[in-house]
Amino acid sequence: MTAIPAVLPERGLADRLTGLFWRRPNVLLALAIAPPLIWLGVVYVGSLAALLLQSFYSIDEFSGVVVPEFTLKTYAELFRPQNFDIIWRTLLMSALVTLASAIIAFPIAYFAARYAKGRWKAVFYLGVMLPLWSSYLVKVYAWKLILAKEGIVTWVAEKLGAGFVIDAILAIPAIGGNSLSTSYIGTFIVFVYVWLPFMILPMQASLERVPTSMLEASADLGATRSQTFRTVILPLALPGVIAGSIFTFSLTMGDYIIPQIVGTSARFIGLAVYQQQGTAGNLPLAAAFAVVPIVIMLVYLALAKRAGAFDAL
Amino acid sequence: MPSDNRAPLSLKIGAGLGLAFLHLPIVLIFLYAFTTEQRSYQFPPPGLTTKWFAVAWNRADIWPPMILSLQVAAISTALALVLGTLVSAAMARTKFFGREQISLLIILPIALPGVITGMSLRSAFALMDIPFSTLTIILGHATFCIVIVYNNAVARMRRLSGGIMEASADLGANAFQSFRYILLPNLGSALLAGGMLAFALSFDEVIVTTFTAGQQSTLPIWMLQELVRPRQRPVTNVVAIVVFMATIIPILFAYYVTRGGSDTAGGGK
Amino acid sequence: MTPAVTFQHVSRHFGSVRAVDGVDLTIAEGSFFAMLGPSGSGKTTCLRLISGFEKPTGGTIHIFGDDVSNTPPHLRNVNTVFQDYALFPHMNVRDNVAYGLMVKGVGRAARYGKADEMLALVKLDTYGDRKPSQLSGGQRQRVALARALVNEPRVLLLDEPLGALDLKLREAMQDELKTLQQRLGITFVFVTHDQGEALSMADNLAVFNEGKIAQIGTPEEVYAKPRTRFVADFVGSSNVLPPDITRSLGGPTAWSSLRPESLHLTAPGGALLSGPVTSLRYLGAGNRITIAAPGGAEIAAVIPAGQPVPETGQTIGLTFVPAALHVRGSA
Repeated sequence: MTAIPAVLPERGLADRLTGLFWRRPNVLLALAIAPPLIWLGVVYVGSLAALLLQSFYSIDEFSGVVVPEFTLKTYAELFRPQNFDIIWRTLLMSALVTLASAIIAFPIAYFAARYAKGRWKAVFYLGVMLPLWSSYLVKVYAWKLILAKEGIVTWVAEKLGAGFVIDAILAIPAIGGNSLSTSYIGTFIVFVYVWLPFMILPMQASLERVPTSMLEASADLGATRSQTFRTVILPLALPGVIAGSIFTFSLTMGDYIIPQIVGTSARFIGLAVYQQQGTAGNLPLAAAFAVVPIVIMLVYLALAKRAGAFDAL
Repeated sequence: MPSDNRAPLSLKIGAGLGLAFLHLPIVLIFLYAFTTEQRSYQFPPPGLTTKWFAVAWNRADIWPPMILSLQVAAISTALALVLGTLVSAAMARTKFFGREQISLLIILPIALPGVITGMSLRSAFALMDIPFSTLTIILGHATFCIVIVYNNAVARMRRLSGGIMEASADLGANAFQSFRYILLPNLGSALLAGGMLAFALSFDEVIVTTFTAGQQSTLPIWMLQELVRPRQRPVTNVVAIVVFMATIIPILFAYYVTRGGSDTAGGGK
Repeated sequence: MTPAVTFQHVSRHFGSVRAVDGVDLTIAEGSFFAMLGPSGSGKTTCLRLISGFEKPTGGTIHIFGDDVSNTPPHLRNVNTVFQDYALFPHMNVRDNVAYGLMVKGVGRAARYGKADEMLALVKLDTYGDRKPSQLSGGQRQRVALARALVNEPRVLLLDEPLGALDLKLREAMQDELKTLQQRLGITFVFVTHDQGEALSMADNLAVFNEGKIAQIGTPEEVYAKPRTRFVADFVGSSNVLPPDITRSLGGPTAWSSLRPESLHLTAPGGALLSGPVTSLRYLGAGNRITIAAPGGAEIAAVIPAGQPVPETGQTIGLTFVPAALHVRGSA
């Protein structure tokens, strides 16, 4: 049975190429990585560069035409009071949404990580994943229905004889308004709802990495339940919270649909970008506005990286 | 001391309420598709009817956006499948210079808010005088779909026993045969799941699309216009149900084909 | 006769790590060759150099006289039984075994016929339709063997193929592999860290240490006449004796080794070696004891089952026939 030679001959192009890939593994690597890299490099990074470039242009105030000359004039416009207000309002909203998401997400993530077993684990996983992936626009629309003046919240409150509570909340200056769907409170609720799953998943992932034995060790050493919670669980969950906050903060900061549909007419960064590039036709200012979240997120990411949050992603 | 494996009641209530908060709003979308009231969001609905489904079916302005959305989602998914698989194959095994940077580059389109991706593409189109078209929409969609496919495929590639590709070569298969007979079949369900999720994401996308669509309307853009300036409100609900289904069915399917593995689909968006 | 495999000063360095360092090796056609060594000693890298999954950073490898420096793995007619078997999880057993023929373009009927023949050879005739996940570890191992043999390789490489099996199965498979090799006449190259396995199965073996071959020879030579202290210690856990002790036992002033099973119990007075028992380990087939001999040496001896066993702390004597003392030149 030794008729077959020890080294077989090449049978064609496929064999020759395989030999080439074997002799030069980098050729195969380059062939695989080049198309996606060119796509992302040209389409995405190229566009980011275009954004940056655009933000250093300015618009001719009389003709409304973009002047393709380097200037810092457009960035200076960001510091006008009405534009600066937009930035501050957005940051405050993002921070509050992140905080509220973390608080609401915790019981769900903790329960799913520590107590849910077998079938319940799957229920919790789907229970968080489905809202995460299901249509964004439909979710926002659902809240427009809920918060409408003639909608379900008002109806329930009146049935419970608590209509005055809603009136009282809406009467709060600054955050109140004509109805829930036209107030900051409404905007806030919808933001929290839409971005909540983005907080739950990384939080659950980091909590799942806390071994039960560590909690037992803590109890064994005499810690009460609340001491264990404060000194062991919370610090270990923190990377997950930070990872989740990257999403909630970034997504809130860039969103322009929600404030348009539920909320006051006050603008946020996303809406400012949208309106400046659209109706106002001021592309350079829109670009400069869009650079703001990028800068903030880069700082945020650098801080998060230092806190070890990327392991929880 | 034995550990207490039953959850405290307060935690159970908190977790249950949290999940309810995530799901109940969607129910209203369905309810309002049957209301007889078309000028407000009155609750409870004064009466129930199924006529809006027929009305929506016969509205000529819904079909072109619907078809455009399907086209965009299908082509973007196909592109993302090719590009995402290639990059995951390169990233899964080998270590090379710049690997970290590339993984950041892949994640960036979904890590940064959509408005930035959208505005960036808009700036690039403006600077290069590229007119808006279906192609410009696809360009944006494929970019953020790559990472979805990548996430699914790379997890599977890492889990695959590295030996099987070597075993295939050892038994005499050339690189193309190993890809066709060994890698692809083992990657199948992960790619299917990734493709499903990418399709759902693209079909539903509105933020980037508004910056790249010009005068064209995808279904989500049509919906957005209806939300800002409502006409027949229950018709919008009927379309919302369609969009909801078009996202939820692929997701459930993706979960179904990958469940039980360590790389269950949908862990990150 | 052309040797099956030759290594001429072959090295494989990974950066500063010298996994294989200047190895010269000749494997005769039709022999059962074992590569023995601790993990990280370079034996598996040598196997991967033969199959082509690693490329030498220096030296030349010939397979049946052909320089394979430019031959990719799929064109080398050598096949491997992988340590984790690496069966294709999406194919049934028959398709796994027929794979090598399929990629070479053999028709369906012919390749299935050959696959079933191979499955019969490893006594798995009725398992063709199962998936690998439905098999036990031992059965998977046989499938991996059949899959590798279907190509009629000139050399079969086995990478710790018995490592994942339990003891009883491992011993049965050792016999089977040996029989199979003799029947087929194919050259087997077998990597293992288990010295018992290497000694019982191989015609020739190479002991690896830190990327180099410490000794190469027949099992009898390597066992009885270890050339280095490492070989003496690794193969059969010999007692390694420094020059002064060798001399006190009647040998020259040189390093020597002494097999634990060549020592016998005797009364302490007048014995060649004596001292208190420091440890005692039950082996099933006997007992392994250690005594603290004068001069600070720890000497191990194996006492066959049935003989009286001393207690820890008790002073005993050990004796041996002079031929059992193997004197080496170096440490």
